Amino acid sequence: MSLIEVKDVTFSYNGTRNAVDGVSFDIEKGSYVTIIGHNGSGKSTMAKLIAGLLPIKKGKIVIDGDEVNEENIAMIRNKLGIVFQNPDNQFIGSTVKDDIAFGLENKMVESEKMPAIIEEYANKVGLSAFLNYEPQNLSGGQKQRVAIAGILAMHPSILIFDEATSMLDPKGKKEIKQLMYELSGDDEITIISITHDIEEVLQSDDCIVLNKGKIFMHGKPEAVFKEPEKLREIDLDIPFVEQTREAFGKYKIRLKSDDLKGMVDELCRYRSNH
Amino acid sequence: MNNLVFGKYIPIDSLIHRLDPRAKLIGLFLMIAAVFIPKSWIAFLVIGVMIAIALLLAKIGIKMIVQSFKPMIVMLLFLMLINSLSIKTGYVLFSIGTFDVYSDAIFNTLFVIVRLLLMISITTLLTATTNPLDLTLGIEWMLKPLQVVHFPAHEVAMMVSIALRFIPTIIEETMRIMNAQKSRGVDFENGKLSEKISAILSLIVPLFSVAFERAYELADAMEARGYVPGAQRTRYHVLKFNFLDYLFIFICLLVMVFSILSRFYL
Amino acid sequence: MPISFKSLSYIYNKDMPYAHKALDNINLDIKEGVITAIIGETGSGKSTLVEHLNALLLPDEGSLQILDYEIVAGVKQKFLKPLRKDVGLVFQFSEYQLFEETIIKDVAFGPLNFGFAPEEAIKRAAEALKLVGIDQSLFEVSPLEISGGQKRRVAIAGIIACDPKIIVLDEPTAGLDPQGAKEIISLFVNLNRKLNKTIIIVSHDNEMVYNYCEETVVLSHGKIMYHGKTTDLFADKEKLKEFNLLEPQIVELKNMLIEKGFKISSEARTIEMIAKEVAGQVKR
Repeated sequence: MSLIEVKDVTFSYNGTRNAVDGVSFDIEKGSYVTIIGHNGSGKSTMAKLIAGLLPIKKGKIVIDGDEVNEENIAMIRNKLGIVFQNPDNQFIGSTVKDDIAFGLENKMVESEKMPAIIEEYANKVGLSAFLNYEPQNLSGGQKQRVAIAGILAMHPSILIFDEATSMLDPKGKKEIKQLMYELSGDDEITIISITHDIEEVLQSDDCIVLNKGKIFMHGKPEAVFKEPEKLREIDLDIPFVEQTREAFGKYKIRLKSDDLKGMVDELCRYRSNH
Repeated sequence: MNNLVFGKYIPIDSLIHRLDPRAKLIGLFLMIAAVFIPKSWIAFLVIGVMIAIALLLAKIGIKMIVQSFKPMIVMLLFLMLINSLSIKTGYVLFSIGTFDVYSDAIFNTLFVIVRLLLMISITTLLTATTNPLDLTLGIEWMLKPLQVVHFPAHEVAMMVSIALRFIPTIIEETMRIMNAQKSRGVDFENGKLSEKISAILSLIVPLFSVAFERAYELADAMEARGYVPGAQRTRYHVLKFNFLDYLFIFICLLVMVFSILSRFYL
Repeated sequence: MPISFKSLSYIYNKDMPYAHKALDNINLDIKEGVITAIIGETGSGKSTLVEHLNALLLPDEGSLQILDYEIVAGVKQKFLKPLRKDVGLVFQFSEYQLFEETIIKDVAFGPLNFGFAPEEAIKRAAEALKLVGIDQSLFEVSPLEISGGQKRRVAIAGIIACDPKIIVLDEPTAGLDPQGAKEIISLFVNLNRKLNKTIIIVSHDNEMVYNYCEETVVLSHGKIMYHGKTTDLFADKEKLKEFNLLEPQIVELKNMLIEKGFKISSEARTIEMIAKEVAGQVKR
């Protein structure tokens, strides 16, 4: 049995157009799954449905054996945490430590136990020196790390990142992606990341491509990117390595490597062989 | 926005900073009462000295009090004028041409000024030495008895603390939208009434639409982290009364008793 | 030179204990009719620099010449409106400046403020909207009811409709999906090519900078570290390291190929151009 089972889920905000349209997929425990698609493809809606932030009217989602519905919502919330897109709009406490404490307070963790837990998770995301900082004195990347610490402190088994890096500068993006990659090494943690970042997709185990609310492709990132024409068809970006392969392909030069260095070596061989 | 000093928290360490916010809130109420009761200058002097000592302990400069007081000067001058025109008791202090100014007019105004100064000092003592979050916790504690009549003390406190948390964000946003509209030719300072209305709309409408968006996202984030309004929660910040807190309340109580007695004996 | 900074400095919270020199003795001439990128880490002074171009901030020291307007530290300015008409500023997350009842009204708002007659303003607004790809059927819709990407376009149209000579963009693609970002950038590249507009783009996206911006200015701690050809900057590994700049993959590939003895012209800034040049040098 998979950890998350999405079965034929359909959702519409206004009744006229389905934002998510008959989507089914499974997510295995401990895996790192990216969901891509351009704005309006239904990917953020999908994340909210899994997290129980939107009501499921058609189809069903089962997490760890329990169906996501009104009745189970508290239990399911306990199992998952979400990092949202806008770093400012999820910073609830007035300082870093207060923000990490927010979830603990909701979870009824005893007051005396909180400082040690806060310390531990601030440390885990590299912010132990910033415990007393206020949000306006933190960078976007740091705020997102606070959000991650606050969620990790609640021991979720599923982490959902809803375009968590899209508003950050390159440094912040890099930091958060690195942190996500480290977290994906933990077999107890399942990561679902809604993203536009092709490089991030490459570090995931599985990739779901959504288009107009439907699953367009689903598979290993390498396999998905092996069909650049298909991604182009729905206006999605393709990794630079694939762009290079495509560009040289136009001149009948078929590059086979999966990295730039290998491609350069191939080109050198082409030159010397003939 | 940076010139605004009244109500601003000064994040330093002092004896007063370390007091429990609840003790400070109780102290505030006792002292405000103490300031309003007396009618004698000696009583004001005693209260003033007590407050001055507290300001000293809290490391608050007199400059901050003066700055908070400044905006009220015009109002007080106006009060002085009204009093001079209307109060005709006491003795004639001095005359301007044929117009006599009576002693009570001046003394009454001075009373108001002194009371106001003391009030500002007391409030500044509280707000400058208590971080807004602790203040919220203190207020929540004071509102607790009202829960008996189903007053949502905790929710109100949560609302206040979130509002406090978002003030800097919203100020920043306001500046950004103002700049963006200035770039589109909006003049926020000059112009006809119709232009002014459109200038204000061009600021208010985006500000509200962003605020609503923020509110929705914040609600999602809070919900996702297990917040249920009205549900039981534990607290990270636990308030604890110490000996100094009791001492502080006791002193404030003494000052208030003194000011009541001053009504009869001074 | 349409824009020329002369020993300009700007200090935040002047006279306060935590004063901070955001711009430090800036000397900079921006070329006419060219797309110039301004890059640098968060907090390097990019946005402060940009706000000077619209007199939203005034210099504390030095002066600034923009077209025919001169802004000198300590001298009161009288020409703010004409300056702001001639220099269009598209702010970061510009979608949050929309407020009118309809899209067309919102886009016409700037032109009206700058003194265009109502019919002329509406005409300009319609043209600008067409340019950014907003369909006529949306003209009478509220700008608060469309998608985020569309809002961004409407906001940009609001600046284009004022017919500025210089367009300044602060992170115009932040938060957009890659396709949306590409469309926005090509829009400005076209404005530059067809109407010879001078364009300044503040960006973190080095790949985009490399592909589309002829000149680049690197800011760090309020100082100018580099100003020159974008291709020269990215060809210099030492400089990239010194300025803490990420090397776009296209530059990585190009440099590797050059190292192996391939000849690639400095104008080759896209993968298609590189492939074309390299293909000529290998036998198939």
